[in-house]
Amino acid sequence: MRDGWQQRIDRASALAATADATRPLLESYGRLLVLQRDCYAALDRQADRLSGSLERDLTVVAACVPPILADLAATGPPSLAEDAKRTLDAGESSIASMLVAGWRAPSDRAFFARIVLQPYASWLAARGVALVDRDLPRHDNVCPFCGGRPQVSILQHAPEGEGGGRELQCGTCFTTWPYRRVRCARCGEDNERQLGYFRSDAFAHLRIDACETCRHYVKSVDLTRLGLAVPIVDEVAGAPLDLWAQERGYEKIELNLVGL
Amino acid sequence: MAISRRTFLQRSLAGGAALTAFGFDITPVYAQARSLKIDRTTETRSTCPYCSVSCGVIIHTLGDKAKNAVPQVVHVEGDPDHPINRGTLCPKGASLEQDIANDRRLLKPQVRRPGSERWEDIGWDQAIDEIGRLVKKTRDATFVEKDPRGRTVNRCEGIAFNGGCTDTNEFNYLVVKTMRSLGVCYLENQARV
Repeated sequence: MRDGWQQRIDRASALAATADATRPLLESYGRLLVLQRDCYAALDRQADRLSGSLERDLTVVAACVPPILADLAATGPPSLAEDAKRTLDAGESSIASMLVAGWRAPSDRAFFARIVLQPYASWLAARGVALVDRDLPRHDNVCPFCGGRPQVSILQHAPEGEGGGRELQCGTCFTTWPYRRVRCARCGEDNERQLGYFRSDAFAHLRIDACETCRHYVKSVDLTRLGLAVPIVDEVAGAPLDLWAQERGYEKIELNLVGL
Repeated sequence: MAISRRTFLQRSLAGGAALTAFGFDITPVYAQARSLKIDRTTETRSTCPYCSVSCGVIIHTLGDKAKNAVPQVVHVEGDPDHPINRGTLCPKGASLEQDIANDRRLLKPQVRRPGSERWEDIGWDQAIDEIGRLVKKTRDATFVEKDPRGRTVNRCEGIAFNGGCTDTNEFNYLVVKTMRSLGVCYLENQARV
């Protein structure tokens, strides 16, 4: 894992302090990160009960859900709070089913499952506990650890090189893996004429890597321009770029936790 | 339980409803998105022309692909995925952008006359005529048909040719054919430096 929960929380707070349009979103995301950090800590305290099989780990993982739902029901935006309360009221078996469904068929739109499965998957990745009950497609455009789709692309200096080498970061377990620079992170298109990079001066270290073949995109965080950036958080801070791209018909490979 | 479709994303501003994603208000984000000035670049993989190592480069070209817009090279960097250089470039390769976009680039022939301290512009026709005349004069004066042992060599020892590191394969092919036909032996290229 590239960065820790506290580092993400601090970065979200720092960005929110200086942002204008994205401040409410970053503050909300910061609160979600706090909930995820606490979830991760709760999982870590029961490390000896986690096996890499969600069905066997379900008791431990599902126990993280009610506190998160209760918090969201109390402090979340009205429609989200309403959904959180309804999910909480549906009972333990419903929560367990939600988690299993979200694990077997990951969806970036399954908000409540994802907010818990991200800490769970990242804990497994950090400890090197292999997943035993999840199909792992062997393609280089999905996470080599959990099979998740990339949330963000990262450009940074290679240890022995000078150019901006590229990595993708998983939207589920936050594992990073190397990926070719001039290539679509979804369909593998490598015809340069089909790939476009969109950048705004308002976000000097962010850009949209778009593919005209599959009409999908992923945002890149350029650490050669801003080494302080925390990719998974700075990606959220670039939300206006998402809306710009989506208005032009591009679809994001993997939505972030706040749905953009 | 999946989150409801209503909560997931409401993008329509119709009726004055706020824009939300998972219930989070993104109206101000949308407002900023509408005001963004976006530049489009392309990244083209290529090979550095300077020497025979053939390092991989990525050329960044600014332009929105509009037919009336001229693409402009704004950056050249080493290709981190290229097996030869892994993103590194020597100082010559690192300055490639200035080779492509440079207002000091010569666009017409110039000549510095013997004894002169300045370069003067001349036309292409005049340049070709003068070069042809001087090549003929020099070749006629220095051509060696046979060596001291009487063997036919057909050497033109009074002319040398030095190529540039950005010369293309096609150009270099023509150079060799032309110079060898004149009998020139001394062929060199700056790319070897």
